[in-house]
Amino acid sequence: MTPGERNAILALLNSASVTEPTRRALVERLDARYERQFFDEAEFAVLRAVAIRLVPHDPDEMDLTGTVDHRLHSGVGDGWRYDAAPPDGEAYQALLSALPAGFETLESVAQDAAIHAVGISHPHAFEDLLAELTEAFMAHPLTQYRFGYVGFADALNWLYAGPNELEAQEEAYGPR
Amino acid sequence: MVPADLLPTDLDVLVIGTGAGGAPLLARLAQAGLRVAALEAGVRHPPGGIATDEIAQAGIFWMDERLSAGQNPVSFGRNNSGRGVGGSTLHYTAYTPRAQADDLKLRTEFGVGQDWPLEFADLEPYYDELEFFLGVSGPAEYPWGPPRRRAYRHPPLPLNGAARLMARACAEIGLRTSPAANAALSRPQDQPGYGIRHACTNRGFCQAGCSVGAKASMDVTFLALAEAHGARIVDGAQATALTMKDGRVTGAEFMRGGEVEHLGAKTVILAAGAVETPRLLLMNGLANSSGQVGRNFMAHVGVQVWGQVEDDLRPYRGIPGGLISEDTHRVPGLIGGYLLQSLGVMPVTYAVQYARGTHQWGPELVRHLSGYRHVAGINMLGECLPSEHNYLELSDELDGRGLPKPRVHFSFGENERKMADHAEALMRDLWDRIGARDVWALPRAAHTLGTARMGADPETSVVNPSGRTHDIENLWICDNSTYPSSLSVNPALTQMALSLRTADALLKELKRV
Ligand SMILES: Cc1cc2nc3c(=O)[nH]c(=O)nc-3n(C[C@H](O)[C@H](O)[C@H](O)COP(=O)(O)OP(=O)(O)OC[C@H]3O[C@@H](n4cnc5c(N)ncnc54)[C@H](O)[C@@H]3O)c2cc1C
Ligand code: SF4
Repeated sequence: MTPGERNAILALLNSASVTEPTRRALVERLDARYERQFFDEAEFAVLRAVAIRLVPHDPDEMDLTGTVDHRLHSGVGDGWRYDAAPPDGEAYQALLSALPAGFETLESVAQDAAIHAVGISHPHAFEDLLAELTEAFMAHPLTQYRFGYVGFADALNWLYAGPNELEAQEEAYGPR
Repeated sequence: MVPADLLPTDLDVLVIGTGAGGAPLLARLAQAGLRVAALEAGVRHPPGGIATDEIAQAGIFWMDERLSAGQNPVSFGRNNSGRGVGGSTLHYTAYTPRAQADDLKLRTEFGVGQDWPLEFADLEPYYDELEFFLGVSGPAEYPWGPPRRRAYRHPPLPLNGAARLMARACAEIGLRTSPAANAALSRPQDQPGYGIRHACTNRGFCQAGCSVGAKASMDVTFLALAEAHGARIVDGAQATALTMKDGRVTGAEFMRGGEVEHLGAKTVILAAGAVETPRLLLMNGLANSSGQVGRNFMAHVGVQVWGQVEDDLRPYRGIPGGLISEDTHRVPGLIGGYLLQSLGVMPVTYAVQYARGTHQWGPELVRHLSGYRHVAGINMLGECLPSEHNYLELSDELDGRGLPKPRVHFSFGENERKMADHAEALMRDLWDRIGARDVWALPRAAHTLGTARMGADPETSVVNPSGRTHDIENLWICDNSTYPSSLSVNPALTQMALSLRTADALLKELKRV
């Protein structure tokens, strides 16, 4: 994240346009970094490589892999599981171990082919992991900034709701 | 003042769960002077503490793991059920259409499904009362169903991008649309027991909780009224067992902060929702002489069709569900029917649905998501027939409290499949007409219904038409589990009507004794 991006994000989050509960959640997420606790080191390296292929991102900017590890370590679930699937952590571990040895060092084309294969052999784990990474990606303030999303500016009314009826905030926020 | 953790004694009625089923009757009974209390597994979420952020708001959903089986496994968690003082109304989108009279008579009309053991006329006065009390915003003339005796209290909310596009597309093929009825305020309203509720600020986050009290969730409406009349709400308290003596229920055990406690009452009303209510009954082996507890689980056919347009829509603005059409209420070849609703959407919800619905990944996924501001959605919500194949059972896996996790089997039958296909084709056509690109459909089932159906016959139903269990004289059920059929409309308003009706029946009964 460039200093310019960071400044723009913090300027809006710290402005009077955002309520305190929303600000707290987003400022914390902007810099969230997690210690690896659930996966072992080798698994974690593979998971990170998979995550970068599934939802392209720079891990120095947002710690999506750490978010998954943290969630599993803390035992928080999303409220349901396919009956046919083992608990999330085990299911992810099985998916990771089904990838070819040295996955992290493969060329991206070979990585993609391997991911396609586990998507077929481990369909539920694949869908759950993809969904979880996508969630962490979309919820990140940096992603939201880059996509020009400003819906968290919740201290004001949105006066208009129709197509192309943008308010100043919406015009101004996001990359030029 | 009584210390907050001191439990009430000598309760007339104990209610378990504070959602659309539990809250209205709690208020009604308190207003009538009964000593009442509610146990609620979740905690309070005062509007001022609610973040406009989907992750931070995970706490308003029921996140204990449920196992989903069958051909069309139902997703729970953020998709399908709430937890907190207010229940699922904390996160409902506040669409409040009324059921139509023929919704209640499916078996009479089609020879399949189930008739409800009551008439539209039984619900109508409650609908009138509720729409006024909650402050429903809606059109002056609603085109479907019998004419209304009492107008909606407030004018409709502004239509967002998806709603306007849907209106245009429907007009092209001659489908009538109307601004929907939303239980969210287009003007401020004085709420008895609560104070002033503000008008909707158009921030589009209904599903993550309303931070201004505009949305009629139970906490800012019936529960506030109930507490003003002396009702006690014990939050963070999950009922784990019903206690019995001589064939009568005597109260409930519950877990609060790791401790097991007990609350006694003369009458108990289970309002824990269509998964937790049958789970509790099955764990206790109660009220099941019919064998119907856990049976006939239903979830509305709920396909969503999404597309992206040139216009900058900002789908987070405006009430998410602004427009409706009930012109598909009856469609030749289908049993029952469906309705169409426009959809706004929050960014993370959209992204996760897209990932699950399309399995798209890599650069293409990010490209699609970067178009979030241009997303417009439309969905259908349609009849789901009760079926032998769809049921809830206790699994061998235990949850964090040592209780068996529920397993829910769900598969579409032929009518559900036909209806989903019919609606998807129609919605794709509509979105083609507005020039949407990247159109994709999310097959989906919404709402948890059935599992403790009401009926006149104790052999085939769990509760009578008033909501009292056939087996246990002082145990009642009031939540979505009692639905004999799914209805072709969103369930919350009808649930609240049933709740007031159950309260009136109970009051009448108590007077007679
Ligand atoms: C995302 C979403 C959007 C929706 N949108 C709409 C809409 O626009 N219009 C509409 O009509 N409907 C909508 N609904 C459905 C509507 O919210 C439900 O139909 C309605 O709230 C169900 O009422 P209920 O009383 O059965 O259950 P709930 O409202 O879910 O209440 C059950 C309560 O019981 C508590 N509980 C459960 N077990 C226990 C226990 N053991 N001890 C103590 N407490 C317990 C729960 O925590 C919960 O608070 C929506 C639902 C969802 C999930
Ligand atoms: S859109 Fe309106 S009703 Fe919905 S959460 Fe926002 S302010 Fe509340």
